[in-house]
Amino acid sequence: MRPLPSQARSPRSLRVWMAGLAAAAVVLAGCSSGTSSNPSTSSSPATSASASTAALQQGGTVVIGAEQEPDCMDWIASCAGSIWGSYMAQVTTIPVVYNVRKQGNDWLPQISSIMASEPVVSAGPPQTVTYKLNPAAVWSDGQPITSADLKYTALQIRDGKDILDKTGYSDIKDIATPDAQTAVVTFDKAYAAWKLLFSGSSGVLPSHLLEGKDRAALMKDGYTWSGGPWVIEAWKKGESITLTPNAGYWGDKPKLDKVVFQFTADTAAAFQAYKSGQLDALYPTPQLDAIDQIKAGIPGSKIQVEPASGNLEALWMNNAQPLLKSVAVRQALSYAIDRNAIVGRIYGPLDVKSPAQSFYPPLLSAFGGQDFSVYGLDLAKVVLLMTADGWAKGADGLWAKDGKPATLTITTMTGNKRRELMEQVLQQQLKAAGFGLTIKNASAGDIFGKILPDGTFDIGIWTLVTTFPDPGLSFAFDSGNIPSDANQFSGLNYSRTDVPGLNQVLATVDTATDPNIRLAATQAGDKLIAQSATSLPIAAIPNVLLTLDKIGGPTSINPSEGPFWNLEQWGLVA
Amino acid sequence: MLRFTVRRLLYSLPVLLVGSFLLFWAVRTVFDPLLKLRAIRDPEVIARETERLGLNDGIFTQYGRWLTGFLSGDWGVSSRTEGSVRPMIESALTVTLQLLVWGVVFATIAAVLIGVWSAVRQYSFSDYALTGLSYLGLALPAFWFGLVLIQFLAVWPQQAFGWDKPAFFFIGLSSPGQDPSFIDTARHMVLPVLTLTVGLVAVWSRFTRASMLDALSSDYVRTARAKGVPRSRVVWNHALRNAWGPLVTVVALDSALLIGGLLVTEQVFSIPGMGRLFLDSLLAGDVFVLLPWMVITGAAVIILNLLADIAYGLLDPRVRVA
Repeated sequence: MRPLPSQARSPRSLRVWMAGLAAAAVVLAGCSSGTSSNPSTSSSPATSASASTAALQQGGTVVIGAEQEPDCMDWIASCAGSIWGSYMAQVTTIPVVYNVRKQGNDWLPQISSIMASEPVVSAGPPQTVTYKLNPAAVWSDGQPITSADLKYTALQIRDGKDILDKTGYSDIKDIATPDAQTAVVTFDKAYAAWKLLFSGSSGVLPSHLLEGKDRAALMKDGYTWSGGPWVIEAWKKGESITLTPNAGYWGDKPKLDKVVFQFTADTAAAFQAYKSGQLDALYPTPQLDAIDQIKAGIPGSKIQVEPASGNLEALWMNNAQPLLKSVAVRQALSYAIDRNAIVGRIYGPLDVKSPAQSFYPPLLSAFGGQDFSVYGLDLAKVVLLMTADGWAKGADGLWAKDGKPATLTITTMTGNKRRELMEQVLQQQLKAAGFGLTIKNASAGDIFGKILPDGTFDIGIWTLVTTFPDPGLSFAFDSGNIPSDANQFSGLNYSRTDVPGLNQVLATVDTATDPNIRLAATQAGDKLIAQSATSLPIAAIPNVLLTLDKIGGPTSINPSEGPFWNLEQWGLVA
Repeated sequence: MLRFTVRRLLYSLPVLLVGSFLLFWAVRTVFDPLLKLRAIRDPEVIARETERLGLNDGIFTQYGRWLTGFLSGDWGVSSRTEGSVRPMIESALTVTLQLLVWGVVFATIAAVLIGVWSAVRQYSFSDYALTGLSYLGLALPAFWFGLVLIQFLAVWPQQAFGWDKPAFFFIGLSSPGQDPSFIDTARHMVLPVLTLTVGLVAVWSRFTRASMLDALSSDYVRTARAKGVPRSRVVWNHALRNAWGPLVTVVALDSALLIGGLLVTEQVFSIPGMGRLFLDSLLAGDVFVLLPWMVITGAAVIILNLLADIAYGLLDPRVRVA
C-alpha cells in the first residue's frame, strides 16, 4: 500500500489516493446493500433483475469511455500503476487464485475457476499454503494453467527488479511444484494476508510463454495471450483498447464480439459523447461536474450508484505537528466538524448521506466497527476539551494558548474540485468552533513526493483505496511506518500516528492466520484509532456506473475488481 | 536567396544549442528523473538508476551525453510507460500536425478574407461587426468554445433530427473498432479544427486588416489607382502581396507555438497529440519525455521562424538584401 496521486493502483490491497478516487462500486442492481439510481433524473433506475432478465443477442460491439489510459500492461511492474488498466485489461485477461465476490453483506475472497479447491493453509511454522489447480483451466493457446505458472509468477515478483509490489512475495522462502496442478508455498514468517498472493494486483502469468524471456518487453505494450474470458486485440496508444472473446476460455464465453475502451480525457465531453451514443457506458469519478451531470438526468440510461466502495476519504491530521500532538485538540477538532453536512453537501445528489465511522471502508465492512460515530458536531464538547487543555478564546474568536492561536493549514491536491469544496466547508465549520484554517494546496507530485514524507503539513485530505478485502492497516497507523531516516522515508504513516498499544494490535492483524483473532484485532485497532482521534474518516466515495438501455446483462460494480469484472455477461438487448 | 537561407540557418544552430541546454538545465532542476521509481521504495533501484543515468555527473556532462543520444536518435525511455520516447513523440506530433495543418489552412484563408474585407470597407458596419466578432473570438476560452460547439453542432442536431449518431464526433480522431475512412476522420476533425481555428482567425484577421490598411494607404497603391488599374487587382495583386509579410511571420510563429499549445483542444476532444503527451508526462514527472518534447517544440519555433524569414524574403526582396 502506498499513497498515489491519482487513479492509480497501489502495491497492496489498500491504496491511498489523493487525487481523486477511483470509482468502484457494486451495482445496486446485483447487490442487496446497493442503492440504485438517481431519483432526481429521468433515467431508468437500475436493478439487476431487470437488467439480467432482458433477452440478449449474441454479438455486437460496446464502446466504453475510460477516464485513464494505463501506462503499461506489465501488471507486476512499477509502470503498471493505473487502476483503469486493471479494470480494462488485467481483470479481463489475467487469471487469479481469488476473486472478490459478495457473500451476504460482505465482499470476500472466493476461489476462482482456475482452482480445483480452496487452498490449504498450515500455520507452521513455517507457514505453508498448498494450491490445487483446476485441470480444465487453460491459457488461450490451449496450454494448461499449471503450478509452474504460480512458481514463475511468485519468483518474478520476489526476485524481480522494478516490481510494483513485493508484499507477501518477499516473505516466500520456497515454492514447490510436486505436480502440474499442485504448488506449495512456504513462507519465511507468518503472513496472514496470503490470499493476496496470485490475486489482486498480481494474478498468474504463463510461464510457458514468458520463462527465460524479457517479461517486461513482452507485456508492457499489451499481449496476445489470455487466461481470462477476453483477449487484447489492440491497444492504440492514446485512443483505445479493444478486447475480443478468448476462444480458448474454459468458462462461459462472452456474449459480445468486441468491447472497446475509448480514452476520454474530458468529463464534460465524455458525458456528451455518452448522451449522443458515441459511448455506451461510463464509469466516471464522482467529481462535482460528474455529479451535476448525473443530477441533471440522462434519459435512456441506467445509472447505478454504489456507496459501498473500497475508497475512503479522510481528514488526516499530522500528529507530530505541535498543535495536533494534543489528543484533546484532535478530539476537539473531530467534534467541531459536521461530517453529516459535508457528506450531504457533496454526495447528497447521489443519495449518499452518511459519513464513514471507521478507517475500514465498506469493502472491509466485515472488519470495521462504528467507533468514530461518537464524533458528531458538538461545540459544547469542543469548549470542554479545549478549556481543559489550557486553551482560551481570544478577541478574534480563535482558541489561543501561550499566545499562539489555534490556526492550522489544510492541504490537498490542486484542482480536485470536490476536495476544494470540502476544504471551504471545513474552513467555515472550524471557524465557528474557534479554529483558523488556511487552505494550502499543492500538486500531487509535491504532496506525495515531499510534503507527506517530510511531514510539512497540518491536515491533509486523501483517500485510502482498498482493492482486496484484507484488513491490514499497519502501513498507515503503525509508528514504525512513520517516514524517517530509519525507513529511508518510505513509511506511509503520514499522519505520524503513534498510539500506545496500537502497533501490537496491528501486528496481530498482519500475522494471525486465525480469522477470529484477526477480527478481534482489527476491531481493537479501530477503537484505539478512534479514541485518540489520530485522523478522521469522512466518507466512502461512492462509485457510479452508467450504461445505455441497449446494454443488458448483470451490469454491476465490484468494489475490488471494478465495473467490468463480469464483462463476459454483458450483451446488447435483443 | 541561398546565401540568405544559409546565413539564417547558421544563426539558428547556436540558438538551438543554447536553447536546448537551458531546457535541459531547467528540466533537470525542476524534475526528479527517479520520481516514479521512488514510489516503489526500493533504495537499491534508486542507487542503480542513479548510476545508470549518470545523475551524479556534472550538468554539462549529462547534457553532452543526452545531446549525443538525442542526435543519434536515441531519445531515451519513458519512466511512465517504459516505452521508447521517440515513437511516443513522433506519434503525438503526427496527430497534432494533422489538426494544425487543417486549422492553419482554414484560419489563414478565413483571416485573409475577413481582414481584406474589413480593410477595404474600413469603418463600415461590416468592418465594425467583424471587429466585434474578432474580439469575441479572442475572448472565447477553447475549453468552453469546444463544449459549445459539441452542443450546438453535434448534440442538438442529433436530438432535433433523431439521428442515430451525431454528424460530427468529438472523442478521438477515429471511430473505435472500425477501419479508418476519410469520411470518419473528417467527422472527427471538424469540431477540434473549428475550436482551434476561431482564435487564430480572430488574431490573424486583425493583422491582415492592419497590414492591408497600411498597404492601401501607400503611394504605389495610389499610383496604381491613378493609372486606372481595376480596384480588385489593386487590392489582391498590389496591396495584399505587400501585406502578406507580417501575416506570414505571425502565422509561422503561432503555428510553432501551437505544436505544443493545443493542450486544451486535445484534452476536450480526447486527441492524443503533443499537448496531451505533455500533460500526461508532466503529471507523471516523466522527465525523459518532457525534455525531448520541449526541445522539439522549441526547435519548431526556431525552424518555423526561419521559414517565416525565408518566406518574408521571397515576398519582399529588400529583406534578402538586408
